[in-house]
This record gives sequence, structure tokens and C-alpha cells, in this order.
Amino acid sequence: MAMQTTVERVEGAVPVTVMALSGELDASNYLRLVDDVKPLYDDGARHLLLDLTDLSFISSSGLVSLYSILKVMQGEEPPDPEYGWSALHAMERDAEEGTAQNVVRLAGMQPPVADVISRTGLDALFPSYPDRESGIAAFTAA
Amino acid sequence: MVDERRVGVPTTFHRHVRIPADLERLAEVRAVVRETATGCGAPADCIGDLVQAVDEAATNIIRYGYRGEPGWIDLTAELVGDDVVVTLEDEAPEFDPTAAEAPDLSVPPQHRRPGGMGIHLMRLATDSMVHRPRPGGGNILTLRRSRVRRPKEE
Repeated sequence: MAMQTTVERVEGAVPVTVMALSGELDASNYLRLVDDVKPLYDDGARHLLLDLTDLSFISSSGLVSLYSILKVMQGEEPPDPEYGWSALHAMERDAEEGTAQNVVRLAGMQPPVADVISRTGLDALFPSYPDRESGIAAFTAA
Repeated sequence: MVDERRVGVPTTFHRHVRIPADLERLAEVRAVVRETATGCGAPADCIGDLVQAVDEAATNIIRYGYRGEPGWIDLTAELVGDDVVVTLEDEAPEFDPTAAEAPDLSVPPQHRRPGGMGIHLMRLATDSMVHRPRPGGGNILTLRRSRVRRPKEE
């Protein structure tokens, strides 16, 4: 598998679940990522930091999984992953509404991944931070 | 790769490989593009764009062209002038992604053709995309990205 995930729960004023992605997120593994997040939400996780420091590639399928993860963490149904455009439009709609959500944040994005996130407008939807520590701190400050 | 340069074709760097139409092989597709573009002397942003565009193209061929049936993709990457050119050839039913417009919003999402988000990213990451039918059936898609200019952002 081209991607590994590790999960850590950081206790503090606000408990933060940190999921670190390592490798490449593409059409072969993006559904598994959403499946990995569902039990975290079911177990009570309400603040998720996705640490993308070691993620070297993300495809449009990966963007759908990021958006689906947000929906899961908001207690909603994720969009049908088979229909990329409807997911994209839902993302754009949410991004335009500018409702900066505080449930899922991104940390440590490298240039190729950051480019894709900004090209699709997802940077308006997901607050992002240079590294894991500042991402965790942002939850506490919110 | 080094051998090809050694035999005296440094300005026409060329790599060809046939890869099974399997999502599990996308990493291999990306690796071939990354290695070839690097060998062509392309800068990091150009390499990243090409890897992105070819991954999206191959994903669409596998998911919506072959639809889970066995198949192959012939991948050719080469330097033509100052352009890194990647050609994907398949024998899936004919589909021209360059003709795909933004989806018709009057059509319910479940009836729209999927895969459009990848095409959107392919457009942003390349300087040109050309599709032609493959003689005998299938598709030939050519993606081009200058190694010296930045591509269009919108």
C-alpha cells in the first residue's frame, strides 16, 4: 500500500486526535482513509488534525476523502465518492460560504499537496498550519 | 535511463512502459513520470504537475474507461523541445476528456459522468491536452507541460 496512517490522541485543554498520513493518497487507498476516521468519530473524537508532513502526493480522489472526512467529523453523511463533481461542488459551496470550520485542520502540507489544495479552493475550507505543534495549539486557542 | 543518454539522445529523452489497468499500479505510473521528467531536467513544480495530470488521466481510464475489466495503459514520456510530453494509450471505449465541460447542473449528480474533478486538475496542471481515437479502438491522450514556463493557473 502506498500510504500509511498513524493515530495519536493528544490530551490537553481540548483533546486532539492527530492522524499522520505518510506516502501517497490516490484512487487505490482514498476510501480506506475515510474508513479509518469513522471509528475515531464513533469513539468520541471531535477535533482532528491531519498531519500531512510526510504526504508526498494527493489526487482528486484524495481530495474527496478529505472532504468526506470533514463530513464524518461533522456527524454527516459523506458524499458518494464515485461522483467527483458533486463532491467538488459541495466542497466549493462550503468553501464559498466561508464557514471556517474548526473540526478538521491540516498541518505540514508540502508544496505539491498544498498546490492541489489551493487549486481546488479547499484551502478556504480547511484551516492549515505549518506543523503539527501549531495545528494542535490552534484547537486549544479556538 | 542513463544508457539512453549515453547513446546520444539527450534532447529526446524517452521512456515507454505498458502498465496493467489496475488502481494498485498508479504508484508505478507516477514513478515512471517522475523519473522521466526528472531526467528531462524539469523543475520540481513541472514534475509535480505532470505527475498529478497523468495520475488523474490514468485513474479515469482505469475506473471509467475499463470499468474494472482487465486492460492496459501504454505510457510514453519524452522530451520534445522544451516540453515534457506524456502519452497514454488504451483500448477502453472512446472518451475524450478534453471535450468534457463543466457538468450540466440541470442533470442530477447521480446521472452525471463521474471523474470530472480529475479532468479539472489535469487542465490546471498541463499546457495542453490532446485526445484522438486509437486506430483499432481505444484512446490516445497526449499531455504536454513546458519545463520552462509556468502553466495556466485558471
